Amino acid sequence: MNTTSIEQINFQSFIDWDNSPFILFSAQGKILYLNNSAEILFGYVSKKELYDLALAYAPQSFGHKTTTLALNYDSFSFYAITVGYENEDQISIRFYNTPRTKSVTPLERDKLVTTNINLLLEANITLFKTKNSNPLQLLTDPDIPSFKIDQNSFSKLLRKTLDAFRASDSINITLKLLVGEHVIIGGKKKPIVQLAVKANGRYSDADEEIRTLATQSHITPLLKERSIRLEIPLIRD
Amino acid sequence: MEQFFTNSEQVQNIIKGFNLTKTLFVSSIIIGKPHTGKKSLARYLFPEAPIVSGEDQEAVEELLKEADELIITDFEKLRNQESLNLDNKRVIATANYMGNQQTIDNLFAFIYMLPPLKERPDDTAFIRDIFIAEARSNLMLDTLDFSVEEIPVNLSDNSKTLKRSIYQYLVNLSMDARDIEEAVYHYILKNLDGNNGYKEYLGLYEKPLIRAGLEKFGSQLQLSQVLGINRNTLRKKINEHHID
Repeated sequence: MNTTSIEQINFQSFIDWDNSPFILFSAQGKILYLNNSAEILFGYVSKKELYDLALAYAPQSFGHKTTTLALNYDSFSFYAITVGYENEDQISIRFYNTPRTKSVTPLERDKLVTTNINLLLEANITLFKTKNSNPLQLLTDPDIPSFKIDQNSFSKLLRKTLDAFRASDSINITLKLLVGEHVIIGGKKKPIVQLAVKANGRYSDADEEIRTLATQSHITPLLKERSIRLEIPLIRD
Repeated sequence: MEQFFTNSEQVQNIIKGFNLTKTLFVSSIIIGKPHTGKKSLARYLFPEAPIVSGEDQEAVEELLKEADELIITDFEKLRNQESLNLDNKRVIATANYMGNQQTIDNLFAFIYMLPPLKERPDDTAFIRDIFIAEARSNLMLDTLDFSVEEIPVNLSDNSKTLKRSIYQYLVNLSMDARDIEEAVYHYILKNLDGNNGYKEYLGLYEKPLIRAGLEKFGSQLQLSQVLGINRNTLRKKINEHHID
């Protein structure tokens, strides 16, 4: 039997495909290495910000230090980071993904009706327009297939989401299929449809209700200072 | 089929919203002052849906069990709102006022506010013309000549007071001397009392006489000649009755 000494193993691919972002910086803050997951993270946060973070949480002398903290970048959420350096030239940072809480509410299939989501969105925008005159831009993908929605509670969720922008200027609404992203419901992978509403600011008085309504329908709400995004599972069976 | 006319952008948006969700199982409510056309609008949009009033709680519960699509009027009168389950049904409710906002918010996906007639001048003109045609026919006044713009329109209770003000105006306009005598007779029969009756009720005759005379002849001098009374007497009467 062949034995392989530990030095001969190439560890890089294990890090490459690690689900947790890992970055290696030079002393000047240049990226020397980053894994796939970190590459996606850089779509939402600047190099400088993460480098500064690494410096701020670096151990006092050579070695590795893990700090527990709450970090949020867009839909990324981390509960801890490990910063380490073994020489003066390189510093590494690794992020630990916060586990996604599993929804305990079962899917109420009898309430789900195959629906064209664009219709519900259009109706809710019309309702919004009866009360507000804010300029509103809609970018939607008419090719999103009809899928199963609890029409009543989803409409409520849409109403509350739009209402949060009742005093905002230049409201931007986009509806699209998130390519390559999935959510697991009832043990099955489902594609995700994303509804994003953005503006120069918004009310947050109904955030709690939005969270509750969304969670009931297995929708992931991402509530930011100036935007609300709903990640809706595309359930067809 | 029920007709519904509107030129108001807000109401047109409500109709658009309903048309978009017509085939969906969502619950909607139209809230607005009495007599603004909520029920007509619901019937116009859903001509096939059975209608039940919120006054009859049992009937509402019964219909909710049986039907997938229904109209509930006077929703504010329903006492067991919290316990209703409107999921997976096409419910269209109408209410004169919101009541408990939290409850309405939880029950309904779409909450529409129907503006009062005061905010819908085009709609008011349209409804006014319908009422005028109806009043002409009901009161048999087909040949009566008048200008529509002169009708003092009262919108304090929306279409109800609008209708009343039109009928009232047309009746007044079409009265002949006998009708007026009859009206005064009934009024006095009902109200005459006290010990100064003659003077008190003289105004019923003198006030409209002087007001109309001034309007028609312009000056007090001319009117006194037409009436055949002294100018000073006329002035005294004008002061007495506070006519400007």
